[in-house]
Amino acid sequence: MIETNNVLTKPSGPEYQFLVGEGLYVLREDLHLATPPPHPSEAPVVNPNPLSTAAQPATVGTRLSLLTLDSGPLSPPVYRTSSRSDGVQGGIPEHPDESQSSTDVRESSSDAGRINSGEMPPLASSAPAFGEGNSALAPPAQKDPNKRRKPKNNMSKSNSSFISRVINHETLAKRLQERATDGMFAFVNINRAFQWLDLSSSAKKADYLTKILFTKAHCLCHDVNRVTRSSSHIDVIMGFSTGEIIWWEPISQRYTRLNKHGIINKAPVFEIEWIPGSENLFLAAHMDGSLIVYDKEKEDGSFSAEDEGGLARTSSEMGSGSGSHHSCQIQVNKSVHSKTQKTNPVAVWKLSNHRINAFAFSPDNRHLAVVSEDGSLRIIDYLKEELLDLFYAYYGGLTCVCWSPDGKYVLTGGQDDLISIWCPSEAEGSSGLVARCQGHHSWVTSVAFDPWRCDDKNYRFGSVGEDGRLCLWDFSVGMLHRPRAASVRHRGSVSSRPGLTPLHRAETAATAATNATGASGGDAASPGGPDPNSQKAEAEGNGGGKRMVVPHPVEPRATTAMLPPVSSKTVDQDPLCWLEFTPDAILTSCKSGHIRTWSRPSELASQLEEQKQT
Amino acid sequence: MAGFFQKLIGGGNAVSKPDNSASVKGKKDEPPQDLTPVEKLLYNAGPIREDGSDKFFGLENFGSTCYCNSIVQVLYHSEHFRENVVKYPPVSPSWTERKVNVTIRPPPQANGTAAGPAKGQPATKPRQSFSGGQLAPPVPPLRPEDKPDSPEYKKKQAMIRGPILELAQESSEAYGMQECTFTCLKDIFMALIESQSRTGVLSPQRFLEIFKRDNEGFRNSMHQDAHEFYGIVLNDVIANVEANAKRMQELTESTSGNGHAVSNETAPSHINTTFGTGTPGTGWVHDIFEGVLTSETRCLACETASQRDETFLDLSIDLEQHSSVTACLQSFSAEEMLCERNKFHCDRCGGLQEAEKRMKIKKLPKVLALHLKRFKYTEDFTRLQKLFHRVVYPYHLRMFNTTDDVEDPDRMYELYAVVVHIGGQAVHGHYVVVIKTKDRGWLLFDDEMVEPVDKNFVLNFFGDKPGMACAYVLFYQETTFEKVREEMDAEGLEQVKLASQAAELAANAEQVNGATSVPILKVNTQTLPPASENEILATVERPRSTPNDITSPAQPPPPLSESEAHPLIAAPPPAPAVMTKADEAATVPPKTKEEKAREKRELRAQEKAQEKTRKAAEKERARLAAQERQEQNKLLREALRSEQDQLQKAIRESKQTAADEEKRHKTETSDAAGPERGSDNHKNSSSGFLSLADRSRKSMMARKSFAFLKVDKERDKDKAKADKGDRTDRSEGSSDNRSDLADSSTTTTTGAGESASHNLHAQNGTGARTASPLPARLGPPPRSDTAPAAVDRLLPTHKDKPPLMERFSFGLGRKKSSKFLSTS
Repeated sequence: MIETNNVLTKPSGPEYQFLVGEGLYVLREDLHLATPPPHPSEAPVVNPNPLSTAAQPATVGTRLSLLTLDSGPLSPPVYRTSSRSDGVQGGIPEHPDESQSSTDVRESSSDAGRINSGEMPPLASSAPAFGEGNSALAPPAQKDPNKRRKPKNNMSKSNSSFISRVINHETLAKRLQERATDGMFAFVNINRAFQWLDLSSSAKKADYLTKILFTKAHCLCHDVNRVTRSSSHIDVIMGFSTGEIIWWEPISQRYTRLNKHGIINKAPVFEIEWIPGSENLFLAAHMDGSLIVYDKEKEDGSFSAEDEGGLARTSSEMGSGSGSHHSCQIQVNKSVHSKTQKTNPVAVWKLSNHRINAFAFSPDNRHLAVVSEDGSLRIIDYLKEELLDLFYAYYGGLTCVCWSPDGKYVLTGGQDDLISIWCPSEAEGSSGLVARCQGHHSWVTSVAFDPWRCDDKNYRFGSVGEDGRLCLWDFSVGMLHRPRAASVRHRGSVSSRPGLTPLHRAETAATAATNATGASGGDAASPGGPDPNSQKAEAEGNGGGKRMVVPHPVEPRATTAMLPPVSSKTVDQDPLCWLEFTPDAILTSCKSGHIRTWSRPSELASQLEEQKQT
Repeated sequence: MAGFFQKLIGGGNAVSKPDNSASVKGKKDEPPQDLTPVEKLLYNAGPIREDGSDKFFGLENFGSTCYCNSIVQVLYHSEHFRENVVKYPPVSPSWTERKVNVTIRPPPQANGTAAGPAKGQPATKPRQSFSGGQLAPPVPPLRPEDKPDSPEYKKKQAMIRGPILELAQESSEAYGMQECTFTCLKDIFMALIESQSRTGVLSPQRFLEIFKRDNEGFRNSMHQDAHEFYGIVLNDVIANVEANAKRMQELTESTSGNGHAVSNETAPSHINTTFGTGTPGTGWVHDIFEGVLTSETRCLACETASQRDETFLDLSIDLEQHSSVTACLQSFSAEEMLCERNKFHCDRCGGLQEAEKRMKIKKLPKVLALHLKRFKYTEDFTRLQKLFHRVVYPYHLRMFNTTDDVEDPDRMYELYAVVVHIGGQAVHGHYVVVIKTKDRGWLLFDDEMVEPVDKNFVLNFFGDKPGMACAYVLFYQETTFEKVREEMDAEGLEQVKLASQAAELAANAEQVNGATSVPILKVNTQTLPPASENEILATVERPRSTPNDITSPAQPPPPLSESEAHPLIAAPPPAPAVMTKADEAATVPPKTKEEKAREKRELRAQEKAQEKTRKAAEKERARLAAQERQEQNKLLREALRSEQDQLQKAIRESKQTAADEEKRHKTETSDAAGPERGSDNHKNSSSGFLSLADRSRKSMMARKSFAFLKVDKERDKDKAKADKGDRTDRSEGSSDNRSDLADSSTTTTTGAGESASHNLHAQNGTGARTASPLPARLGPPPRSDTAPAAVDRLLPTHKDKPPLMERFSFGLGRKKSSKFLSTS
């Protein structure tokens, strides 16, 4: 066996710390996860022919989810002392990837008293539950709420060709019993391996609780359900490069395969997330631009858009027929309100034909922000299955997205090396862009708000990129430095038609803006799009009228506020792929498997105090 | 058979791939099983296009000439450039008989040695292994070229399949030009465009010979630098065209002197419209590739800020580990201190001072070539090493480092070609290029081999992947946000197919689909308007023997009777067709091409079998099915047709605008002449090693060499101001000013004689401006009796070159060489 063990190191030195306004962040530790070698059955990674056109398996770097089972704050938040319950402050079950920040978001939403997070009743929010009103979706009554259903198959004893090996820690049960209840679990996917780590015991941090090696498929994303988590039950879902999905319950070591052999969708799953407040439903973003809602307990039913009701079919056919406009709405290939809910999928939405790189649920649990390889940011009312807004990156694809804790702003990072701040609620008739943040030297891979350093007006967020940099940003609307024309909301679409005089361009822009206003301003009944094939008629039956959304124009550089980082630090040798804020630290991960924990200044201070005392 | 091939050769390229066309005809609807991926891609693609955008030829490698092949492919697939090369020099109708002198070399036998007819038996077996895509090699591989998925094998197969076009004789005379890099390049382009086959191999031997003749540094069989080659070819093209323009101008002077019945007013316009005398003729090269950099230098002693502009054909950017092209461009424009040994000579302080300097882009080029400086000297300057930094590049780009007054600061660029260097060292290695074609997606060009690739393949060359293949030159071209959106919407469907292909899960689902879904049979109705067809033929088929009417303006070509003899035109549009990509985009099912092909094959095989056994009834059914199918597809077809019509319209429009632009350009920029540029190519004959050396220097040094142009700057500015009056919205305006700057500076250094002739050019230009924009009249052929004289006249000009070269070897035209010279 070639795979090595995880290695925990504590490098120190000036290169492992960085100074921000609030103080010095210092690297606490570096956990290097063993990267598994390719499975013997897999084609050699090092292809002797660099020009080989054989399709490469989709890979992502190292993505983590953090989870605590128990309440109990690890450290008091810096700014937040509000109504939040202790449990919320504590470990936040986190999200696999870029959209992990949606967790922050969720958590803060509990501030607003809207929603659940572990301890709160799941549906205490003002937002209706997803699929509410569809009796076909009503969960079967459970006899004992504490006894949750487990997946079908035993993972350790599995002889599935999908799973290569499962290695449990020798004393797994003992460790689970003995561990501090407020300790943090981490779930990590790295290439074809999936590891379950216990971050609470500093000594044994490097020892995984469970390590799963898959045969050929790479696990690209995963998520942990925070509604159902308990010391006896954790629901984990993983999305794979083959399109398949595994529901895994680590305590009982049981699993179920969903979308087996890609019967529902064959495209790789790039992002997966439990629907907020739901015990069973989760949303998977497939590479072909589909968003599919699955139920962890339902069997796969073979699905194609054409099999569904007439409404869905016409919608999909029209969508692809109408060419350039099919991206301006979502095709509901199967609605959550469909009456046939015996099998998966629960709902199927087709956004475009481009890879969805990330999505994030809004703190109020009503909206979904989705970013794609085609550079689009879509704001979707997923309860109504309706596209609300469509924004485009300055150029290149968008790679990551998150919501601000108050749900007002959306951050995206992309292949233009920029982080864009959007304000969807005030986007009507404008580009919706608040500012662009320039500071990365390569593509941005993950963005997240630091809820402990956000308040009503000031926001702190962080980002990591392929340049190995961790950038921290402070943003407050009033303080934005806008270029000359900034006071006027400029609506120029960035069309680079040569020979178009500025005046002319302004005209077209104005027209576009008018359209946009018409579309987003009017209610569902008025399709603002110029598309003659507008399908409101067909779509209306699908619950909530459908309308063509006119994309917001791209803000020209001359009128965009640019925000510089408050800190920019190369924190790793390799491209970074994930970051997360915890009460006491910033965690980053890189492609080669290094998970680094950067202690916050406050944490550092307390540590120093402790040292003095001892 | 030998006789057959003799005939082939004799017939020029009028006869295309005999075996292929035969097989296509024989099987009609059914795609032959042994198609290569490119042929599959192109199968039943409709009539051959006249603009050459559907020609995907490999280029033969003569030993380490891959640098040439990749660049020629890029240039050919740069639409603007190709169009302009074809259009220049404008042709008179009497040339239309002639074509590029192409011979078709018999393809080599599969076993390598003897040339012979490629009836295909030897190649059949290996070919079939292609159709399976990833099939394991049937025989244990002996040599690299026997492995079906090895590049060597594919290249060999490409040669076997042919046709191999050879440009044995130059056609320069027909263009009214001396044989030079430009004419040879044009020959290649014309040969490809005129070819009856869409695929094959072309031998660029003649082009290389001539290129090497003019560029000493390339006269060896060593590995050369593709970026350097690119720069030199472009400069050669500029020089050749300018030299030609100058020659023609002189020629006209003499003809009008000879008392031809040309009035003073009409003569200049005549010339200008026909040959684009002076810069107007070459303006198109500048227009496409040239941008303007401005360097702002602020002297730290006296705080004086000075600006200096220089033109560029590409940007050489330094690389950092784990960065993006965007970031590298930013650091290219980052502020820079000039200090210590590198102080700035401040005119005001009158001495070397420390200064701050920044480079910004003042005019964005239409085609932005980004040279990633992957070759760098080691610390001790003893050898070049290759940097394997991971540098990511997006499909689209906008520039941040522009000046405030740049036109269209948010211009959107799209990546359309990536020249890839494979190998661990600077002095060895291999070049290939991945090119985004207009409507066939991305293709990989590896010498003789052409292969369609997934869009994601393009991003395999960031530099950190195993195999040492790194992007070396990136070509971005101007586009618009709207176009990008449209394309995204369309191409997404392709990606879906590829994704599902990659997942390899299609196998069982496919049969279900195959049974239920209706295969789409389609007559590709894309026919080109006959008028434009003739037009192109007119430019293409030039009689070799009659270079008489050189100066007579290009004319709407007469209806061509040749077209009947022309197999391309006579050929009926291919009948029932596999769907093209566009078609597929129109139909929803995200099936892979292979699946479709298979489905179709299966279905037809079924039908045939049924016919044999239960004839009548089954036939009826089949026919019904076909009818049904046809009905279903009618709609789709209509959609497609309108789409294609739109495409055609767009093409026509773009051609029109291109033509207009050029016309405008000619008229507006004639004051900025400069045959002196021709000297550039000579200075480039500095050895490859030297230029490699420059490459590793900081580009900043190069900019210094332009200091002496500064004086002229003021003058130039005035001129530019004056120009502004009649400059409207054209983007080439500033470029012309730039070349003007270069020229005026040359003038100052060379003397009055030259500038006088420039003024003449300028006057001619003005004349042209006022003249009727459409050169529709058939002037008396002023050159009819002076054709030989023209050649004579050219010779002295040519002899002029070496001294010119010496004089201008620094500073002008090419940045790189000047860089080296100025710093040495």
